[in-house]
Amino acid sequence: MGTQLVLDGTPTTITILARRPALTCRVGDQTCTVTETAGADDSTVVTIDGEAFHLWRVQEGDRVHVKLGTRTFSITVDDPINAAAQLGGAANGVKADMPGVVVSVHCAAGDLVRAGHPLLTIESMKMQMTLTAPRDGTIATVDVKVNETFQKGAVLVVLATEPESTSS
Amino acid sequence: MPITTILIANRGEIACRIQRTARALGLRTTAVYHFVDRAAPHVAAADAQVELLADAPTAAYLDVDQLLAAARATGADAVHPGYGFLAENARFAAAVEGAGLTFIGPQPQVIDLMGDKIRAREFAVQHGVPVAPSCTQTGTLDEFVVAASALGFPLLIKAAAGGGGKGMSIVGAASELRGCAEQSAAAAIRYFADGRIYAERYVERPRHIEVQVLGDGTGQLVHLFERECSVQRRFQKIIEETPAPNLPPALRDRICQAAVNLARAAKYRNAGTVEFILAPDGEFYFLEMNTRLQVEHPVTEAVTGIDLVAAQIRIANGETLWLTQDQVQQRGHAIECRICAEQPEHDFRPATGNIKRLRIPHADGVRFDGGITEGLAIGAAFDSMLAKLVCHGVDRGAAIARMRQALHDLVLLGVDTNVDYLTRIFEHPAFIAGHLHTGFVVEHAPSLGAAPVATRARAAVLLAAALATDEFRRMAFDIPEPHASIGHWRN
Repeated sequence: MGTQLVLDGTPTTITILARRPALTCRVGDQTCTVTETAGADDSTVVTIDGEAFHLWRVQEGDRVHVKLGTRTFSITVDDPINAAAQLGGAANGVKADMPGVVVSVHCAAGDLVRAGHPLLTIESMKMQMTLTAPRDGTIATVDVKVNETFQKGAVLVVLATEPESTSS
Repeated sequence: MPITTILIANRGEIACRIQRTARALGLRTTAVYHFVDRAAPHVAAADAQVELLADAPTAAYLDVDQLLAAARATGADAVHPGYGFLAENARFAAAVEGAGLTFIGPQPQVIDLMGDKIRAREFAVQHGVPVAPSCTQTGTLDEFVVAASALGFPLLIKAAAGGGGKGMSIVGAASELRGCAEQSAAAAIRYFADGRIYAERYVERPRHIEVQVLGDGTGQLVHLFERECSVQRRFQKIIEETPAPNLPPALRDRICQAAVNLARAAKYRNAGTVEFILAPDGEFYFLEMNTRLQVEHPVTEAVTGIDLVAAQIRIANGETLWLTQDQVQQRGHAIECRICAEQPEHDFRPATGNIKRLRIPHADGVRFDGGITEGLAIGAAFDSMLAKLVCHGVDRGAAIARMRQALHDLVLLGVDTNVDYLTRIFEHPAFIAGHLHTGFVVEHAPSLGAAPVATRARAAVLLAAALATDEFRRMAFDIPEPHASIGHWRN
């Protein structure tokens, strides 16, 4: 069982083959040894088979943003357990885990969104966070507007129920 | 009484920019903000803050009564409008002056004159400044279509009252004219509440050349040379530089002199910009005059050493112009690029998100003008521009090299931006050769896409992403060997 990642729409599985003497992973169809060290100015150096890559990264929900050289990447990392849970019961409503206030709305009814697309920025407990689409789909309704407060468990955005799809 | 406290009727990077000069001059500033901007850097950096109440965030920054009340409440004796919002609104300028405050900008009647494309054009003609063959809608749309057809194609149609690309279209043939004219008229009413449109001969492969001027309102006025702003997307500039590459000195002098003639005739007060279209044959035509500070003013500051905001404030204080034309000198070459929250690969669609990581490049000749900070939410309420990167070097090649390094060193993660795309422009042979025109982005679209990532670099990115998650780190580093072999589990 490996970790599923999606970069530019292309899925790749990473599997850990060995942890000693060096961390060895299978990335897609290639095998490599990996080391990770902290670099200057809060950067990270990932070394693949002896070649060092100096990069910056930050995690945001199930996405990781990476800057390497002159390139910026956003990678979706699928947590296998979450993924399984969502496949089981892909609820249509995007709910608030905590009471809060809407800071900004990034979607409107009728928008086609991909999983991970930002829907709302909310502020709860003095922290701002972005609620993202749990799956690909169409926005059915946006039930809040900017500066509106909501209670825990409130449904903020509803995705339209998708017809069963046979394509992958 | 000289200005002591400036209310900045704006937000984002330009509000921060104005604050910086105000601080350097020992002046106080008042920031205004809508609720969604309460965590923005321009608010915290000011000496006083006033929240503007409005349902729509943009409406807050357009609310003249609230802005004037905020000025009164915080003891401000002057208002700087920045760019956008109310910067070219003559009624606002008049209201500021009517309230007994100093407007850091031009005379209201000059804003009015230059804000009306038709009157501005007539004014240019009167003062010997070349304009493109054109016609204005005076009667019905049918009459307009006949008159416009007579100019020859291609034609550019736009709103008489507008700017910013709204209601603008290029008509290639007579058969398309009527439909485009109807659309432009509808857009003109929607955006500017004024349905008049006008058409002018469209210059193919035009360059956008503009001239910075500085006048004191008495007719004393100098130019601060030109800027080339030809690299645009969706009719909006993304890269600006000075001097303009490959521009013959004699032609450059004529363009700068035309700008001076126009602005001097208007007895222009304040920093202003006269924009021209330059045709491949060397003919140039007046486009419009922007009666405010421009987004791209820093490149002029870099090569002339003149702080344009400080100059605006001195002029607003009633000083007579302290510069002669000979005293304005250009040193080296400066380039600016606009860093926008957008997706270049999806037709530059604006992007939203949160700035999760921000690392600003610091180096000689590198200036970063921003209004952003880590943790800031980037919504869809305002313009997508987040910041500007300005690089100055001894010549164009040095400025480009600095820009490439600065973009490499800039880390801005959490919201999609055009940073990678800008790098590709600065690496493009046509840009490096200075072969610029306003269709540059479209013409070179096929060679401005992202190159595939090398296999090993891609693996590094994917592994870095995996290692950013607790789940993968546990599997890779924390779990004793037998369990790791069993596989993925968690309690």
